[in-house]
Amino acid sequence: MSEFVKVAQVDDLSDPGKVVLPVEDRLVVLIRRGQEFYCIDDVCTHDGGTLGEGKLVGCELMCPRHGAKFDIRSGEALTMPATENTLTHEVKVDGKDVLVRLSED
Amino acid sequence: MNVVNVDTTVAMELNQAAFDAFLANGENPGWLQDQRREAWAAYLQMAWPARNSEEWSRTDIRLLNVEQYPVLISSTSPAPNVQPQLNQGVELAGQSISCNGVSSLVAVKEKWQQQGVVCGSLEELAGQHDELIRTHLMTRAMNSQYDRFAALHAACWSGGHFVYVPRGVVVDEPFHLVSSLSDGQADLGHTLCILEEGAEATVLTETVSEQETDTGLHCGGVELLVGPGAHLRYVNLQNWGSGVWHFAHHNAVIEQDATLQWTVASMGSRLAKVNQHVALVGKGARAQVNGVLFTEGKQHMSYHTLQHHCAPYGQSDFLYKAALQDRSRTVWRGMIKVEEVAQQTDGYQRNDNLLLNDGARADSIPGLEIEADDVRCTHGSTTGRVDEEQLFYTQCRGFTRTEAMRAIVTGFFQQIFDRVTIESVRDALAEAIAQRVRDYS
Repeated sequence: MSEFVKVAQVDDLSDPGKVVLPVEDRLVVLIRRGQEFYCIDDVCTHDGGTLGEGKLVGCELMCPRHGAKFDIRSGEALTMPATENTLTHEVKVDGKDVLVRLSED
Repeated sequence: MNVVNVDTTVAMELNQAAFDAFLANGENPGWLQDQRREAWAAYLQMAWPARNSEEWSRTDIRLLNVEQYPVLISSTSPAPNVQPQLNQGVELAGQSISCNGVSSLVAVKEKWQQQGVVCGSLEELAGQHDELIRTHLMTRAMNSQYDRFAALHAACWSGGHFVYVPRGVVVDEPFHLVSSLSDGQADLGHTLCILEEGAEATVLTETVSEQETDTGLHCGGVELLVGPGAHLRYVNLQNWGSGVWHFAHHNAVIEQDATLQWTVASMGSRLAKVNQHVALVGKGARAQVNGVLFTEGKQHMSYHTLQHHCAPYGQSDFLYKAALQDRSRTVWRGMIKVEEVAQQTDGYQRNDNLLLNDGARADSIPGLEIEADDVRCTHGSTTGRVDEEQLFYTQCRGFTRTEAMRAIVTGFFQQIFDRVTIESVRDALAEAIAQRVRDYS
């Protein structure tokens, strides 16, 4: 299990907002909704492409290429063409800092 | 959306001042300086490939920071301690070894030198064989402005290898070319092989890191110029460390009645993106390409091949086989392009993928673009899992599951091994693959 890594400050993200970040050797999407932060892999499991440039509606992030939707809380693939969940990562807020701990594949 | 870069590695600036210093430190002839400057200008004007382009949509290079590596090589660093594999038990005609983009060893047998054969460091020989190299270096085969990686390579290449076989000379012993890397270093080596009319040669090349987990950057180029009636067997074993970014433009031009057998084995690197373009420009030119890819961990390998038929009666036969394990991924995109003049072309391309577990993924995209109306061009692609019944049957004969898996993977690649006519290459490939196969229950 990897350690928590500071990746951003709370005020770096608008509300609601998202940003793509490199953490260790992977890219993740950090998402803010109010005081809640979520982190998922920047990978659409349909085609392996980036997810972070997609549209965020409520708790759903839509892939910008083919429209697959993922739940930002669980990584669950909600619609076709994605059928596999994307990976989620643990997030915690410490004061003004946002920290992420990467999950194992 | 921009990626926020939190990398704290000290950057090695890749700017005009650094490039000027690199040129001033080198001993390049005037024409080469001009060529480098032109490529540098193209590099500055170009952007890195966009993710929305078809060629790069499946290959993510957002974590690449070129300035993290010493691209502009100006001094020697300690030579890596590597163990080449392809020359085991082979009597060589000549050898050229470069370490971290700097030539470290050159040797050619006297008897071949007497016949006009040249083998050595491209950078060192660029001054001595001025006319020959100037005529062929990135003029016919490789397009130095294909993309930003090609432009960077053309501007900043160093070390490299040069093999020249004059008209009618048949070299019956292989040349051995090695490019090696230490952890965190860069290699921008260029390999140029010229076979004149009726010449024959075998060239074994290896790119290898000191340690399996080493990082680094390779931004390379290969040009094979096979003259009329010449025959070249070219082997490339890519075995970089698992943290190396590998970008390469591999190009061949085959003249009338000439043949090229090109064997590619790609095992190492963190991410590999290779463009392999073979142009059959003379009547009756023939090309056979055999590709072996084995990926593991989170490796990503992207191979883009082009069989470009520009003259009648040409034959091309490309076979790429990939075995994937863990969460690795391959992208193979092949194209047979037949110009209107290239009647009676016989072109074939095939890509087979064997997935050894659930997390691996293979994308296979064969294509045809045919302007002529009297040709035979076919392609095929397969992707599948290891058959559990085959595993069970093999285990019933007393093998463990891992041994059974190894036997099946070896059998999968056997079609390629059968086409490779050089024993040391067959042995090295079989050994490298067998070492990597793990058990998935």
